[in-house]
Amino acid sequence: MLNNCTTKYLISLKFSTSLSVAALTLLCISAAVAHGVDANTQQFLQANHGTAIGPFLYIGAKHMLTGYDHLLFLLGVIFFLFRTRDILIYVSLFTLGHSLTLFFGVLENISVNAYLVDAIIGLSVVYKGFDNLGGFQRLFARQPNTKVAVLIFGLFHGMGLATKLQDFDLPEHDLWKNLLAFNLGVEIGQFVALLFMLILLNLWRRFDSYFSFAVVTNTLLMAAGLVLFGYQMTGYVLNV
Amino acid sequence: MNEVNIPVQSLKTLIISMISAVILAFCILIVFIGPAEYGIDPTGLGKKLGLTVLAKPFSESVKKVMSCPSGEQAADWQDIVQITIPAKSDLEYKFYLQKDAYIRYAWNSDGDAVYFDFHGEPAGDKTGYFKSYRETTANASEGDLMAPFTGTHGWYWKNDTNKAIHVILKTKGQYKIKGLI
Repeated sequence: MLNNCTTKYLISLKFSTSLSVAALTLLCISAAVAHGVDANTQQFLQANHGTAIGPFLYIGAKHMLTGYDHLLFLLGVIFFLFRTRDILIYVSLFTLGHSLTLFFGVLENISVNAYLVDAIIGLSVVYKGFDNLGGFQRLFARQPNTKVAVLIFGLFHGMGLATKLQDFDLPEHDLWKNLLAFNLGVEIGQFVALLFMLILLNLWRRFDSYFSFAVVTNTLLMAAGLVLFGYQMTGYVLNV
Repeated sequence: MNEVNIPVQSLKTLIISMISAVILAFCILIVFIGPAEYGIDPTGLGKKLGLTVLAKPFSESVKKVMSCPSGEQAADWQDIVQITIPAKSDLEYKFYLQKDAYIRYAWNSDGDAVYFDFHGEPAGDKTGYFKSYRETTANASEGDLMAPFTGTHGWYWKNDTNKAIHVILKTKGQYKIKGLI
């Protein structure tokens, strides 16, 4: 353990800045693959005709790991979760939500406007940042049930995934197997992302600065969510 | 009840952080994302930073087609179009053919090879099924097709290069032009 006060401060400062820088960098690089699936993947998906467990697994995992919107939301959700049990409960609720709409959306061919769904996903990040600041208690004297909120936003995230997959006219044959693989990939990607976040957060949580920077971090989270929202809404307005 | 205790910030902190989030987001959108993604650059900073180059000019990203007025009005072709595939982009150009209808085609790009998939989709099919007739990377292709089923038939083109590619497509036969999709 580090006892030196200055080192402690410097390290924590480093963590907090690197975290915010990471969030912003993620935003910038992946802006290019805004709607999730890059050109090569697109070619594969359009050329693929049968069952392809491996590729779909990989695409799902990649989508989750490069999808800054999901990562930011997850970061917001686990920010004030300290017990493994809580983390498991919340992440399971999120998983349940996005799996439901992913399957239902693709199998029933329900397509939503990708820009609008992604804008709502951006708002989910804003919501979580605001919630983490205690905004609801302060302004409305009452915090909406956090579990229900995670489940509902999970539903929207799944709808986003479904919309992206539907762009590719997936072959009906064995569709559910590919979907299952894709969803499993999403969970694997989510797990890996969570692992990294938790390692960072747990290191940072040893220092008092975690709490003093909580306001800054969640403000940045809200800002990032608003950027996503604005970005998607501009796309919606221009393309419709 | 919630087991998770979220520290409730003071009203002042809350308002300051909300306002900063909005301002920060607005600046990022105006200065970076607008210019780089959509070519919208109200501050002019995007241009100075060289970001506007990244945005496909909006009129181009709308995947426009122009009728080609060039001297190639060869009598043996019914339709000649020039299709612009923006840099790092893709598009589809389709015709509607009845079963056993005939289309003859020839196209060439103005330089680089493009990936393409010449394929058909049966009318009314919702499963996403399509039949590929030819799929490769080339800068020209020609041939003819007797439609194996009623539906849309045409090309998916993909431009991996950093500059727009113009494809001149010449066709004749018993079809209806559906155009860009």
